[in-house]
Amino acid sequence: MTILLAYIDPGLGALIWQSAIATIVGFVFYLNKTRRWIVKTIRKMSGFGPKTTAISPKISISPERLATKVETKTEVR
Amino acid sequence: MFEPAPSFRDPSGSCCSFQGRTLRIVTADAVAEFEQFLQTGCARQLLAGKQLVATRRLNDNEAAALRATPGLPPVFHTQPAGAIFEHERIPFPSYPQEWPPEMLWAAGRLTIDLAQAALADGFGLKDATPHNILFRGSEPVFIDALSFEQRNSGDPIWLPEAQFVRTFLLPLLANRRWGLPLGELFTARRDGMEPEEVYRFCGPLEKFTPRMLSLVSIPTWLARKANPDDRKIYQPHLLTNPDKARFILESLFRRLSRMLDSLRPAAQKKSVWSDYMAAHSYDDPAFTAKEKFVNEALREFNPARVLDAGANTGHFSTLAAQTGAAVVAIDLDAACAGAIWRRAREQKLNILPLVLNLARPSPALGWRNRECPSFLDRATGAFDGVLMLALIHHLLVTERIPLEEILRLAYELTDSLLVMEFIEPGDAMFRRLTRGRDHLYAALDAKGFESACQPYFEIVRSFALPGTQRRLYCLKKKTSAT
Repeated sequence: MTILLAYIDPGLGALIWQSAIATIVGFVFYLNKTRRWIVKTIRKMSGFGPKTTAISPKISISPERLATKVETKTEVR
Repeated sequence: MFEPAPSFRDPSGSCCSFQGRTLRIVTADAVAEFEQFLQTGCARQLLAGKQLVATRRLNDNEAAALRATPGLPPVFHTQPAGAIFEHERIPFPSYPQEWPPEMLWAAGRLTIDLAQAALADGFGLKDATPHNILFRGSEPVFIDALSFEQRNSGDPIWLPEAQFVRTFLLPLLANRRWGLPLGELFTARRDGMEPEEVYRFCGPLEKFTPRMLSLVSIPTWLARKANPDDRKIYQPHLLTNPDKARFILESLFRRLSRMLDSLRPAAQKKSVWSDYMAAHSYDDPAFTAKEKFVNEALREFNPARVLDAGANTGHFSTLAAQTGAAVVAIDLDAACAGAIWRRAREQKLNILPLVLNLARPSPALGWRNRECPSFLDRATGAFDGVLMLALIHHLLVTERIPLEEILRLAYELTDSLLVMEFIEPGDAMFRRLTRGRDHLYAALDAKGFESACQPYFEIVRSFALPGTQRRLYCLKKKTSAT
């Protein structure tokens, strides 16, 4: 945030407490990062890498829509 | 209608009502950032969902014409390089001191959702107060569009967190735990409750419960130990890794969101008046007749804006909303107003429930009493239909308001229709309220009521509810009181 325009009272104890939690959560950020790196490395070394056909969990395609897509592709061929 | 004074706390601009329009001047150095926010995906989505107030920039001709209008607040002249924006007008503004806990919770939910959503576009909220929100019917709308500012990508701290806690979480907590009425709290304080105040209410063991520790006890202990003159506490601690800063903020918003959810007001809250619809003194035919009478009056006059005074759990507000009217439903019982809000939200009805005692309506508040206009300033002439059902005996007996005064207020509130239920002093509920003071109302009868109405209203029709000592009146406002 732009400090000049921060015109509200940020509290005293609440701000210190937020900063303390931020420090802990920052540590969790690095833990997560390290965990992801370890999992990735182990998968790479053991040959169990992520499957290239996997769909991102954020994108959900219904089976009907997926079937339509396949049909369309077949027609074009 | 009384117009509140222009806002003055935000250094980036000021907002005011002028000739029925809601205008905002944004200082020259903040315009680009403000317009940039309005172009973000987050803002567009919020505008489409009607969660953010619609905003447009006046073009040069419109701005010049406006600046030349006599009576324009001086703030528009002191910022000649600033840009002027116009917001959509939200009908019937209401304030936190008039909301049931359910509405404060919904306002908090919207605030934290917006803070989270804006993060993705690199913006943040620079304040987090319920005064940033108005209700369109039962739905909260974020009106202070200038509260969004571009965040420093390395900043892991959300400065308004303490304000969010003071104005949303702690009032909801105190209301839930100790029954503290929000009306009293927000009438006396603009910025909610400090953790130190809540700490004093807590019992020795309660201070160590997880919720109290995080919201109240630890901030209180830290504030006691800290040096208040230490400027370092308030200096930004920027991180070199923006992903880490964002991770920390996302975690903070999730934590606040969970706390807010844990303070959600319980449904089916009980109060003195919450069971009135199940325990009222009418039998079924009388209640059906009452419903029919009110419905006919509403269909005949077809009011667009209805005030339901003494709405209880909103049965007749719902009837009015179903005719297409925008309804403001007031009741002094917060549990009843909360029940109306839940029903309105579930059934998507245009009802704005407020916790308000008509005999002691909310006063004008804030600096010079000009930040929040009083309820009567907002309500006078704002309705073309007023319902006052099973209310008159409370005003006459409990509040000792003279009949003439009640009718004069009704005359000022409505532009056209008044549906009033007159209750004879012999009625069981009336007698329960008099508590032995029956002699004061011995002369009160339907005939006297009708003659008291004469200066203000024409009696369109009346109907005696069968098996009761109650009579319904459909009254039409006279063009001028005689």
